Amino acid sequence: MIRFEQLTKRYDDRLAVDHLSLEVPDGRVCVLIGPSGSGKTTTLRMINRLIEPTGGRVLIDGRDTASLPTEELRRSLGYAIQSVGLFPHFTVAENVATVPRLLRWDKQRIRERVREVLALVGLEPDDYAARYPRQLSGGEAQRVGVARALAADPPVLLMDEPFGAVDPLTRGRLQGEFARIQRELRKTVVFVTHDVDEAIRLADLIAIMRDGRLVQYDTPETILDHPADGFVHDFVGADRALKRLGRVRVADVMRADVPHAAAEDAAALAKRDGGAGYAYVVDAEGRLLGWVDARMVREGRPCEEAVTRVRVEEASVGVDATLKEALSRMLGFGFRAIPVVDDAGVLLGEVGLDAAEAATEPGSRASQLRERSADGAPR
Amino acid sequence: MAERPFSAVDPVALSGSALALIGAMTLPFVEFRTSRIGIATYHGISVAAPVGYALLVALLACVAVAVLVPPRTRGAWLKGVGGVALVALGWALGVAASHLLTDASSISRVSTGAGAWVALVGLAIVEFAGSQALPSRGARLAFDAAIVVALAAALVLGGAEQLSLAREYAANVAEFWPEVARHLELAGAGVGFGVLLGVPLGVLAWRSSRAQRVVLGVVGVIQTIPSLALIGLLIAPLAALRVASPLLASLGLSGIGATPAVIALTLYALLPVVRGTYVGLAEVDPGAIEAGRGMGMSPTQLLLRVEMPLALPLLVDGIRTAAVLDIGIASVMFFAGAGGLGVFIFEGVGQVAPDLTLLGALPVIVLALIADGLLRALREASVSPGLRGEQS
Amino acid sequence: MTRRTPLRRLLPPALAVVGFAWLVSAQWLWARVLATLYPGESPVLFPAGTLAQLTVRHLQLVGISSAITIAVGLPLGIWATRRSGRAFREIIVAAADVGQTFPPVAVLALSMPLLGLGALPTIVALFLYGLFPVVSGTIAGIEGVPRPIVDAAGGMGMDAGQLLRRVELPLASRVILAGIRISVIVNVGTATVGAAFGAGGLGGPIVGGLLVQNMAFITEGAVTAALLAILLDALLAALEGSVVPVAT
Repeated sequence: MIRFEQLTKRYDDRLAVDHLSLEVPDGRVCVLIGPSGSGKTTTLRMINRLIEPTGGRVLIDGRDTASLPTEELRRSLGYAIQSVGLFPHFTVAENVATVPRLLRWDKQRIRERVREVLALVGLEPDDYAARYPRQLSGGEAQRVGVARALAADPPVLLMDEPFGAVDPLTRGRLQGEFARIQRELRKTVVFVTHDVDEAIRLADLIAIMRDGRLVQYDTPETILDHPADGFVHDFVGADRALKRLGRVRVADVMRADVPHAAAEDAAALAKRDGGAGYAYVVDAEGRLLGWVDARMVREGRPCEEAVTRVRVEEASVGVDATLKEALSRMLGFGFRAIPVVDDAGVLLGEVGLDAAEAATEPGSRASQLRERSADGAPR
Repeated sequence: MAERPFSAVDPVALSGSALALIGAMTLPFVEFRTSRIGIATYHGISVAAPVGYALLVALLACVAVAVLVPPRTRGAWLKGVGGVALVALGWALGVAASHLLTDASSISRVSTGAGAWVALVGLAIVEFAGSQALPSRGARLAFDAAIVVALAAALVLGGAEQLSLAREYAANVAEFWPEVARHLELAGAGVGFGVLLGVPLGVLAWRSSRAQRVVLGVVGVIQTIPSLALIGLLIAPLAALRVASPLLASLGLSGIGATPAVIALTLYALLPVVRGTYVGLAEVDPGAIEAGRGMGMSPTQLLLRVEMPLALPLLVDGIRTAAVLDIGIASVMFFAGAGGLGVFIFEGVGQVAPDLTLLGALPVIVLALIADGLLRALREASVSPGLRGEQS
Repeated sequence: MTRRTPLRRLLPPALAVVGFAWLVSAQWLWARVLATLYPGESPVLFPAGTLAQLTVRHLQLVGISSAITIAVGLPLGIWATRRSGRAFREIIVAAADVGQTFPPVAVLALSMPLLGLGALPTIVALFLYGLFPVVSGTIAGIEGVPRPIVDAAGGMGMDAGQLLRRVELPLASRVILAGIRISVIVNVGTATVGAAFGAGGLGGPIVGGLLVQNMAFITEGAVTAALLAILLDALLAALEGSVVPVAT
């Protein structure tokens, strides 16, 4: 549990952080967000004392961070930054092993942990451990940065726009992976970003800051439904309903039981009475190939022609994707539903327009799902 | 396809070979003196017959290669024919010496003349042009090695030991190698202390912008002071100090000799080392430094494990500059009474024996070139594997 | 390229030059100070000329050789960057690099067998050795002008000569001046050693003093030579700094 008590940072006559008080419960992701100069990064860096507070204090699990020797404090916190800052002369494995080596773990334990944490971030250890940073793509480097922050298994993670330096597509993927890792590890995370969509997707609690002061500290749903003032209202943007959809994982609202079959049988399935009027076509391993629309079949077209073969990447969404992304694809293609596939392309189900409608109703099952997972936060 | 012969001419090789040819033909090839310090009479290349004429033919051939041989094979031809010419040059010098000395008194001297020097420079240009036209690194290395061996053989077997320079060496051989050793000791000590002092100063300059101004300013001013003047400025106070404090005198402090020399050499080594350290540290990715600090590395750990390894190549570059500088300045340390190859240079001046001067000057140049080459290789080796393939 | 140099900026350097000139001519001052510092020495002043004469001689050596160096080196460096000199660029750059590895004293020493003793071989050696940094600096400066600027100028219709005069040289001037400054300062140092080769100049008292163990001579020559070098360096640095740098 992290608590800020009247945390203040003064530069000459300017207050970069103005008597900030809030509490981050264990295992929750707290996102600090605000415009440039709002003090969010300064706040983060006061936790690990890269910047020293001029007033107030930071308590981690009840202990004042000022009472610990600086290096010892920092080694107990994971730290990942936007520029990643991988050591160019260390291999990926040596980079990840940095803090464990500072903590003098024995070599065997370090080796195993490095492999474990590389796999956790989605990098095959045998492939990546011996590589040098200059041989990595932007997304791979950011993953190594996260792995390095997690290496010593700190209970607290500090992240300063860790996904900021990559293209939007990679960023979306990294966000999904981070959410997955967080579901597994349940770290206490303080996350700085300027991207509202990222905050909404990843946060359990959002702290909106302006000019060094805390403006609102709530769950994303509450902030979207009940912005505290005009500034927050404008900051999160007018498309609040759509943003809400960014909170919902496709996996939580999809229909798993959808008509699907191999090509020859799909046509029959599509024509079946009482059915949806279409069926997905899969291969022997269950991977999505396309679909068959019943109308095309009834018109007497040969089966081959009736199958719409698709590019799986474009016409489907991954299981970690948000409902917002799914809706975007549906609208782009003009469909009422879109198939959901896993990493290997295997069809898992579908998510439809109705799910999006349902999710935006207050009191809906989807919004209840998210709100239940965020414990009450003090204002 | 229409061939335009003149566009295929290699102007560099052509100028080099033309320079060598004209120099060898028109300028004196060797100088003859009745005694070590006697007046010189000049002899043309004919005195080196028949090898001298072979040299001229080889030089003509170089010109021809530069003009006629197509670019694709020109590199090998230039290096080959140029190599032959170099061998002929070395051999011809020996032959000329033999011819002129056969009936002369034993104290007569023959030394290389302007024509031979110009031919050497011209052939160096030809060899350079040949190396440029030869893409394969292995071929270049092979040619260079072969030429060095052949030239050495030509000098040794052709009788070059009768040349004045060789005779000076023979006469002074007992002191020569000790002076070389002393020269290297002085320069080495200067660079060594320069590194010991300069690296911490460079780190300090990087950490604090005020220190940077002061350190770089002071070290920069020192660099501008002429070496002879610095030695003078050190000797006088040191001598006075020695008189004033018998304790220091008993410890070996001296106004002359190695003490002021090493102090001066250390001072001159400071600027390149400090600047190399400073620039090397400044090039380190700031993101890596922030990440390191944030992860809990102490400033020392950060310096030793991250900053210095990444700064190493530029630091080695600074050491290289310092080494070359100190090898040169060590020649002047003769005036401090410290010995070194300056002994031959300046005694040659005093005795008006130019070949004695050469005996000092040429090895200094060779030592500087060797040090430069070795430290360049060391720099390459000091680039960490994670950074190979990037140029800083 | 016109530069406004306000009088205030010129004042400190002018003062320094005047101060130095006065110091060098104040023979009586040196006599008094040196006699106090080294009571045992006699004579205190180097007999072969007044300090002013020695300084002038030193400046002549440096000045003449530097003038020739610039007159030869600048065009040579420019030519290496032109199309007509393109073929020679590599060897010129290589020669300049190798040349700067040669210790200047050794080059000075090499000139003796060829040209004997005295001022001429020293000037020749200084000229030759000074060429390397000037040529290096000229080539680096011109090639360092950002490509887009050169292209833009060409696109505006400048011919090669106008491009050189109005764009490349002015923008390269800072780096070129840096090379000239290195050349001059190294020459001041080498010219000091030139005294041992019969060239005269401020090395005379130093070498003479070392030979007869007269500390006063040494101090007279060394202090003046050091001050001269520092002053020249400061002047050239100020000149270099007053040139507008290329914004990269």
